[in-house]
Amino acid sequence: MRKLCISKILYNMGKFALRVFALSVLVFLISRLAPGDPLYAYYGERVEKMSVADQEQARERLGLHEPLFTQYARWLQAAFHGDFGISYQYKTDVKEVIAARIGNTLVLGGLGFLLIFVFALGLGLFCAWREDRTADRIICRIGTVTSCVPEFWLSLLFLLVFAVWLDWLPGSGAYSVGEEGNVADRAAHLILPLAVVVLGHLWYYAFQVRNRLLEEVRADYVLLARMKGLSGRQVLFRHCLRGALPSYLSMMAVALPHILGGTYVVETVFSYPGIGTLAYESARYQDYNILMVVSLLTGTLVIFCNLLAGIVSGRIDPRMRIQNGAGGGEVRNF
Amino acid sequence: MKKRFPFFSLSVLTAIVVSCLACSAIMTKNPLYMDLAHCNEAPGKEFLFGTDAMGRDIFSMIWYGGRISLTIGFLATLFSTILAVFAGSVSGCAPARIDGVLMGMTELFLSVPGLLLTVFLQAVFVRTNVYSLSVVIGLTGWMSMAKVVRTEVMQLKNMDYVLAARCLGGGFFHVLIRHLAPNFFPSVLFMAVMNVRNAIVAEATLSFMGLGLPVEEVSWGSMLSLSENAFLSGSWWIILIPGAFLTGTLLCLTNLGNYMRGSANKRHSNLGRQGILKIKKR
Repeated sequence: MRKLCISKILYNMGKFALRVFALSVLVFLISRLAPGDPLYAYYGERVEKMSVADQEQARERLGLHEPLFTQYARWLQAAFHGDFGISYQYKTDVKEVIAARIGNTLVLGGLGFLLIFVFALGLGLFCAWREDRTADRIICRIGTVTSCVPEFWLSLLFLLVFAVWLDWLPGSGAYSVGEEGNVADRAAHLILPLAVVVLGHLWYYAFQVRNRLLEEVRADYVLLARMKGLSGRQVLFRHCLRGALPSYLSMMAVALPHILGGTYVVETVFSYPGIGTLAYESARYQDYNILMVVSLLTGTLVIFCNLLAGIVSGRIDPRMRIQNGAGGGEVRNF
Repeated sequence: MKKRFPFFSLSVLTAIVVSCLACSAIMTKNPLYMDLAHCNEAPGKEFLFGTDAMGRDIFSMIWYGGRISLTIGFLATLFSTILAVFAGSVSGCAPARIDGVLMGMTELFLSVPGLLLTVFLQAVFVRTNVYSLSVVIGLTGWMSMAKVVRTEVMQLKNMDYVLAARCLGGGFFHVLIRHLAPNFFPSVLFMAVMNVRNAIVAEATLSFMGLGLPVEEVSWGSMLSLSENAFLSGSWWIILIPGAFLTGTLLCLTNLGNYMRGSANKRHSNLGRQGILKIKKR
């Protein structure tokens, strides 16, 4: 029994390592095949003034002249030592650039995830409880509309209304100049991006909860519970919710990286100094070292969460197979 | 809840598509002409939806750009559907080992966030145009559909008629097109409609961020990329009007897709009074 457990853990760890390795190869290959010249990103306009010999020398110093395989091996070796190279654009260690911003993204994405987690469950429960009544129908209509609005346009809309027209909330950055430590100021800057993140994802998950509960409500044990004399609401909260919870938990485990990664566009529109804005800038300036690390970070998180969701749902309910992404109408998280 | 056919959505969508296709008949101005004397003009008699920061007529650009947005949505979906059907059915028919490798690749593609994957792939094409962007968006959108196709094919491939067709010497493509495809067509159709939606969103987001089509190439997304100027000059029409068209199209597509997904629960809930009545009837 114990042996089985250990082999299972080893199996999952191996799977995880293999996937991360494949991911790193993919990311590395694409980044090196891309035509933009990293030399240009590092030296900017000065490249044009350099002589050919100087360019060759610079290339050699940055290790850009070797064959792809050697470059990958060197990169991997360095990565194991925690060295991901320097950012061509910022001219400093990639780790430093990312470390300075990752906190902001985690706050935005983490808070967004928590809010979505709570609200989706609540909204789904409410809709399932009032199935086909007016309240449910209205919420479903509004939900469908909100899930259709592209995130970037919702951000623009909020900016236009709350920051430009009404001037209630600040529209860009994570804090006002010189107010770095001021929590209230940071919170005010967080409201609009957070609202967009939550609104953009909420209905997709709430609708899944609702549908899952509606299936649950049609099971025969509900009839039994009703005959015992429990009210509809009691059955829903005590029995049906418990039946739907495992699949909700595994769904949200898969959702975590999506929501964290889904903040990218929002961050860019609100010029919120996080990983998303960084990725966007790096993409524009062809700073591939940063893009690679950002992709690796998010990709690893996705792989980890998927594995976790599979294990969790298998633990709680062996019948359940995680069908990640097979749900169909999922919104692509940009 | 009984599903009604979404007549309204379909007619709005048809209206938008037809007017975009026939844009030359509707446009009142040349959408590419930069009328520098009339920059940032509010909607009025001459410029029905106003003009943008470069003096282009938004009313004309909506139809002209809509054609490009819709084309990308359609082309990208076509591309990703072919890819997904192929990958999914090969993986569903192949022995377990090849299936494992293919599904591993699918997982791999799914684990890179969509935006970053698109940006990376985008970089491989030197020059961005409508076709390259469609290919890139298509390449990032086939994974979940491939999974659905694979599940369906796995169920179908052991059916007697498929076996019979293969015994009679039918090749892979023959079986796929004649016997498998008609069976998984309905579930693919729903996902294809959703993919059109996703592709349009992806194009708009990329062009808006300046990573897709350039500003000169008019699409709903690239029209919105001028929004920063619009904030400064307070010209709301530059932001609201293209976005409203974009969202409206997406909403119609979603309603259509949801209708195609098939009917929802038809049984009565056991929670309410009907549940109790049902017991009494028994």
